[in-house]
Amino acid sequence: MRPYTFAAARSVGEALEQARDGSAYLAGGTTLVDLMKLEVISPAHVVDITAVPLRGIRAGAKGLSIGAMERMADVAGHDLVAGPYPMLAEALRQSASPQIRNMATIGGNLLQRTRCGYFRDPATPCNKRSPGSGCSAVDGHNRSHAVLGTSDACVATHPSDLAVALIALDARLSLRGAGGERSLRLADFYRLPGSTPHQENELRPGELITGVAVPALPWARRSTYVKVRDRQSYDFALCSAAVAVNVRGGVIGEARVAAGGVGTRPWRLPAVEQALKGKPMRLETFQAAVEHAADGSRLLSRNAFKPALLRRTIVRALVHLAG
Amino acid sequence: MAQPTMDRIDARAKVTGAAKYASDHNLPAMVYGHMVTSTIGNGRIVSMDLSAARAAGGVIEIYTPGNRPAFRGTLPPPLAPVFAEARHPLADSEIHYYGQIVAMVVAETIEQARDAAALIKVTYTALPPKSSFEDAKQNPADPPVTGLPLGQPIKKPQDVDIETALAASQVRVEETYDIPPRHHNMMEPHAAVAAWQNGKLTIYSGTQGPAAHALELATVLGVQPADVHVISPYVGGAFGGKAFTWAPALLAAAAALALARPVKVVTSREQLFTVTGHRAASSQTFGLGTHRDGRLNAIKHHTTSQSIVEDPGYRTTPKYYLAPNVDIRLMVTPDMNLPTATIMRAPGDEAGSFALESAMDELAVRLGMDPIELRMKNYLESTLIEAKPYSSKHLDACYRVGAERFGWSRRSTQPAAVTDGDWQVGLGMSTAILDSGRASTTVRVTFRPNGTATVGCATSDAGTGMWTIMAMTGARALEVPVDRIRPALGDSGLPVAGNNDIYGAVGSAATSTVTPAILVAAKEAIGKLVEHATTAAGSPLVGAGDVRYDGGRLVGAGTSVGFGELLTLTRTAEVGAQGTSAPLDESHAYASYAAHFCEVRVNRWTGDPRLGRFTTVVDAGAILNAKTARNQITGGVLFGLAAAMFEEGKVEGATGRISNANLADYLLPVNADTTEIDVHFLDHPDTRLSPTGARGIGELGTVGAAAAFANAVYNATGKRIRTLPITPDKLLA
Repeated sequence: MRPYTFAAARSVGEALEQARDGSAYLAGGTTLVDLMKLEVISPAHVVDITAVPLRGIRAGAKGLSIGAMERMADVAGHDLVAGPYPMLAEALRQSASPQIRNMATIGGNLLQRTRCGYFRDPATPCNKRSPGSGCSAVDGHNRSHAVLGTSDACVATHPSDLAVALIALDARLSLRGAGGERSLRLADFYRLPGSTPHQENELRPGELITGVAVPALPWARRSTYVKVRDRQSYDFALCSAAVAVNVRGGVIGEARVAAGGVGTRPWRLPAVEQALKGKPMRLETFQAAVEHAADGSRLLSRNAFKPALLRRTIVRALVHLAG
Repeated sequence: MAQPTMDRIDARAKVTGAAKYASDHNLPAMVYGHMVTSTIGNGRIVSMDLSAARAAGGVIEIYTPGNRPAFRGTLPPPLAPVFAEARHPLADSEIHYYGQIVAMVVAETIEQARDAAALIKVTYTALPPKSSFEDAKQNPADPPVTGLPLGQPIKKPQDVDIETALAASQVRVEETYDIPPRHHNMMEPHAAVAAWQNGKLTIYSGTQGPAAHALELATVLGVQPADVHVISPYVGGAFGGKAFTWAPALLAAAAALALARPVKVVTSREQLFTVTGHRAASSQTFGLGTHRDGRLNAIKHHTTSQSIVEDPGYRTTPKYYLAPNVDIRLMVTPDMNLPTATIMRAPGDEAGSFALESAMDELAVRLGMDPIELRMKNYLESTLIEAKPYSSKHLDACYRVGAERFGWSRRSTQPAAVTDGDWQVGLGMSTAILDSGRASTTVRVTFRPNGTATVGCATSDAGTGMWTIMAMTGARALEVPVDRIRPALGDSGLPVAGNNDIYGAVGSAATSTVTPAILVAAKEAIGKLVEHATTAAGSPLVGAGDVRYDGGRLVGAGTSVGFGELLTLTRTAEVGAQGTSAPLDESHAYASYAAHFCEVRVNRWTGDPRLGRFTTVVDAGAILNAKTARNQITGGVLFGLAAAMFEEGKVEGATGRISNANLADYLLPVNADTTEIDVHFLDHPDTRLSPTGARGIGELGTVGAAAAFANAVYNATGKRIRTLPITPDKLLA
């Protein structure tokens, strides 16, 4: 870890004042401190925002709002989350470990960095960590890497489970920066890597995520988050699917489908949603709808199983919701 | 029979943090060493820029190949040079594997040492590494002759032509089973705190064999073994990884000598993968040929591995099944640019049992025969090659009792026939056999005036329960309550016999080795105590004719006195004796046995396999403490299942880098992955092995566990996975 200066903020205003070139906000610390110890990132200045009161889980006519500093564990266990949005609670509960969920915040979760082993090892080339140095994963150990949204510069998977469920729910982010407040669809927040994989999102320098807004979606009560991973806890998704269906009289009126573990960002699948619409809620529908879910996949040497796994993970989620 | 059961006497110290492990020791004026490792897999160091590191705060010294510590000797034969890294750390500028130590920074604090280490810039000339086992196994070589039985071919009869014998068999299977490298990943990393005084080294360093560790350190450092004192009362897991001496302890000792200050070196989790040993990858081809009734006619077991350390043929195949034609051989892939292979829990046995017990399952399918019936058709009553009778073997009962407990009769003989919702359910079984022996060792038993008795041996407790077994056995031998026994272990100053017994707790033989010696030493010590009672001034029994020891008291001449009171009256600090256990009766062969039964559930959509149930029935001789024995078996089973499901050191062929050298990416099972493991002990004391009748347990659970899992996966899905680990992607297709 490299030397850095440290300041603690008690309000959003104080936090924004402290932000400067090369500074980083410290929330739960589960990503930042980890990466600082690995010397993957070495901020010159750390602004502790743990005392900034960006709290609260509230529901209203428009939907659900969650303060950026709410802890993952608290959100997962909240009645306003678990009942109306099962996929959100399930995504959180299947994330990380209990210890991390007790520390990590919602805002931090959405900004966590990829688990690509090359990104995390400064001894290896990585365009995301060190622009222009090359991508070690393309010819390296890439079983966990993305097949959708990749570029020659980067094939790293976005690691967040929560973001997958939020994308499916059309969530929006509230942001505060020197230029004031703004709101952005989470789907528009994450960038594809292209030739600039180090620029992962639309966050402006010094800008702070203050909250997440989830639009009301009454039929999201019938939703689930299926996460396929090698081990049953404390492991990132080989593939995951956040799925909600609005079924009336055995027919799917609307559906939401997003996937994790396969894309360079949380991956919404509108074509699958469209293919489910107006069809009977049964296996034949599911299998037909996912047929093209992984179209456009670019396969690497060790992740050729991912397109099939993506299709099957969505089917598994749908079967679960049908059951 | 009711088995004795007792809580660990060291449990409270461990859970409260009172138990001090090696790196918990802090000495006055101590400084910290942090290792720097290579980022190429083959080549040499051209230059090292140490300027920024030297300028960093608190740095005292930086050791590199340019100013390496003076190691004077090599590791002592016969085992250490084969099973540990024979090359000294920082010996020269050549790089033999990715993650090799290239420098050690010594600084006033651990943070200063670590941060300075990150500032060192090393320039290399890199060569293409020979790191891909997949490539290297295509051109294997004959194993070196080391004087050890490992690697030596086994044939029966001597002129067997195994291909002809297989071809002549009515039913055959021949398949290849691949197992990736595996790393011990014990909870406590290798760490050492070394301090010199008057030419003598005291070192706190976790080890399975304190006496061997002292001998190895002394040999390399060029001092007398008696001048090295290893202290290692608590060891946070070892699994063979702490049986021999590795670079961190050598560097701590050498730096402490050079700097005349105590030095602490703690290996990072990433470094553990390369600066200490691992289980080498192996590729095994099994050919089994039978008569139509299931009797084996031929066994071919050809293995290729990185070195002779991992020899599944020698370790496994001669113990399991009867066959007239046998051909076992090992080939190696020498000079690979990989970290050093060493022994790891059930070395050879884990890999061999996966291949053999998978192949037997495949043969049972081919024959249309129940897997247990096939095993009983080929049951060994004596060893396959020497035809030496087994001392006490109740494997048949393990099968019978296990099948009953597990509900084996409900297994579908058709694979992929049973579902439970979205889950395909399958049952599999396997045999576990582990050679069981014991060394002849020495124990000291000492009576003290406070009414306690010490039972000491230079063995180790790496979480096995040895502290507790020594206390229980001492209490039994001295006929006193267990709380009056003070066990002592984990110290090279304690007694131990010579030869290989200095390696302490290895080969699942610590209990079978130490407990008989406790009985001998207790008898000797009681003799000394009786003599003391009848001769020492102040004893109420001086001159009494017929004094005997009874339940901690000396009885005679119409009176009795407790040993504590006696020593108080005679003003004697201690009375005791050493005792050495008798050599093993070599007329018989000894082994522990288990039958494993496993239920696996595989998701029908996404292929993720999960452990459903597990039952194991164990014949391991007398069970001296049912609680710690059960703990050993469940831990061992999970260790073996971890190989089936998760563990794999992923080596990049192009660089030699291990891409998952950390605990986030190298997957070990968590509680969510396991289930209640049903353990049943048959408890037939093996009194020919020793008077306590206890055989080895520790590694037994591991042996065969992966095969039981893989066989259950086949039963669930119809898919035979011959390459570990069995991950969802392999079950998708």
